[in-house]
Amino acid sequence: MPTPAGTPVIEARDLTRVYRASRFKPGVEALRGVSLDIGRGERFGIVGESGSGKSTLLRLLCGLDRPTSGSVRFEGREITGLGERQLRFLRDDLQIVFQDPMSSLDPRMRVRDIVAEPLVALGRPVGDRVAQLLTEVGLPASAADRYPHQFSGGQRQRIAIARALAPNPKVLVADEPVSALDVSVRGQILNLLADLIDTHGLTLVFVSHDLSVVRHVCESVAVMHRGVVVERGLVDDVWSRPQHDYTRTLLQAVPTLEGLL
Amino acid sequence: MLSVEALTVRADGVELVREVSFGIAPGERVGLIGESGSGKSLTALSLMGLLPEGVSATGSATLQDQPLLGVPDKRVKGLRGRVVSMVFQEPMTALNPTMRVGAQVSEVMTLHGVPRAEARERALDLLGRVGVEAPRAYPHQLSGGQRQRVMLAIALANEPSLLICDEPTTALDVTVQKQMLELIVELAPAVLFITHDLAVVASVCSRVLVMYGGRVVESGPLREVFTNPRHRYTEGLLAASKLTPRGTRLPIIPGAVPSRFPSGCPFRDRCAHASPACESDPALTGEGHAYACWHPRD
Repeated sequence: MPTPAGTPVIEARDLTRVYRASRFKPGVEALRGVSLDIGRGERFGIVGESGSGKSTLLRLLCGLDRPTSGSVRFEGREITGLGERQLRFLRDDLQIVFQDPMSSLDPRMRVRDIVAEPLVALGRPVGDRVAQLLTEVGLPASAADRYPHQFSGGQRQRIAIARALAPNPKVLVADEPVSALDVSVRGQILNLLADLIDTHGLTLVFVSHDLSVVRHVCESVAVMHRGVVVERGLVDDVWSRPQHDYTRTLLQAVPTLEGLL
Repeated sequence: MLSVEALTVRADGVELVREVSFGIAPGERVGLIGESGSGKSLTALSLMGLLPEGVSATGSATLQDQPLLGVPDKRVKGLRGRVVSMVFQEPMTALNPTMRVGAQVSEVMTLHGVPRAEARERALDLLGRVGVEAPRAYPHQLSGGQRQRVMLAIALANEPSLLICDEPTTALDVTVQKQMLELIVELAPAVLFITHDLAVVASVCSRVLVMYGGRVVESGPLREVFTNPRHRYTEGLLAASKLTPRGTRLPIIPGAVPSRFPSGCPFRDRCAHASPACESDPALTGEGHAYACWHPRD
């Protein structure tokens, strides 16, 4: 198990995010004082249900949104309040794989252009990188000439992973990457992610509603509920000795084959 | 009570569901499991008379001796919602956004001839039983779980003899899913429960049908099928559903569900045990626990 050495890759301090009231909606405190450290090489899971604030937290950690208060540091550098231009280093070093590869891949772009897009956007040479990345995620090089709709859900997720790896990131953020996939394909994608994290020495932030998937993938976990982290620790401890009532409720609600047969 | 014989669904000459036969007794809860593209939703839609344009069903299906297939639209309308009803995956698209939920529950009763005042009263009672105490709310004012419970109230309003549930909890949080599954078990008369989630089906059903490539490849008592699967697809699906400890490889089924299945055994292009024998169609054989496989697991 990799131990977090030196400065954490990601340090979040006392993050709050309030969505202001509009004419139609009351205001919401989506995040209420969340702090966490993610160490280099760590596989860190964030678990919660809808409305727990996990997506809001993710957007803040990735520099896609600004907190109402609090700070996020990436390798010691403050990223809150930076403009898109100053965030280029983060776009290089941190990449995201989303839940639904159908809506995160542009249907009008060929796979070649999708995978090369982060490189082009960062003004880096593409060369034969696309073919190399496709091979790495288990797709034939000929996939480059085709469009997303010509692939199955699992293959589309492989394309999304290839794109995320293109700029050689240090941190991979995966937001429910297997929730939309069939069971028989889920294992293929989780195995692939595990391989890539090992070979590239990546830090993984893995968001899921399913603690059992997080337990397979991650060594540490933060459980979120109503905008706060209610419990955190090594995933095996949280799994076998949950301390918070909500974690217990969550664990009991998940039906498992082992428990039912 | 429900009896389905050789149900086949075709579109443009392609067989999407092939020779599916099964029955459901009163009070029984039967699971229909399979991945996307296996034909499980088409099976359900043909029982509801809701197949899309250009898709047609042959074979026979009767519910309490009333035919469900090959009958005029008008007659099917009389049965749908009264004798057989359905809960879909996404409650937001199934509910009318401009109508209060109480009115939507009573509407399905007045449509089938229940007097207005009585329908209103029963709607209140039903919403109470599913735990939604807000009959005057509009769908957008409710949470996903509450909306799905309203759908359940609508589906049960005319006391149907069969409830079909198509992935009713897939879009819900796990804690909410648990409540919904408990309600279905408590309130539904007999259930055909469609899902891709083996743990969910195990918590609701006593019998299970496994579909792949438009066919039932294995069927039987749930505990028996899940602990002693015979078909290689069921075996693979069960193995892939278990999450092994961190640092180990997850068992997988190679490839993906294809858009066109091979002739003979539909699973043979993904199966490690396939042989030339699999080029011909295996029949679903066995009493109680049946399977269609040339090289079954021992």
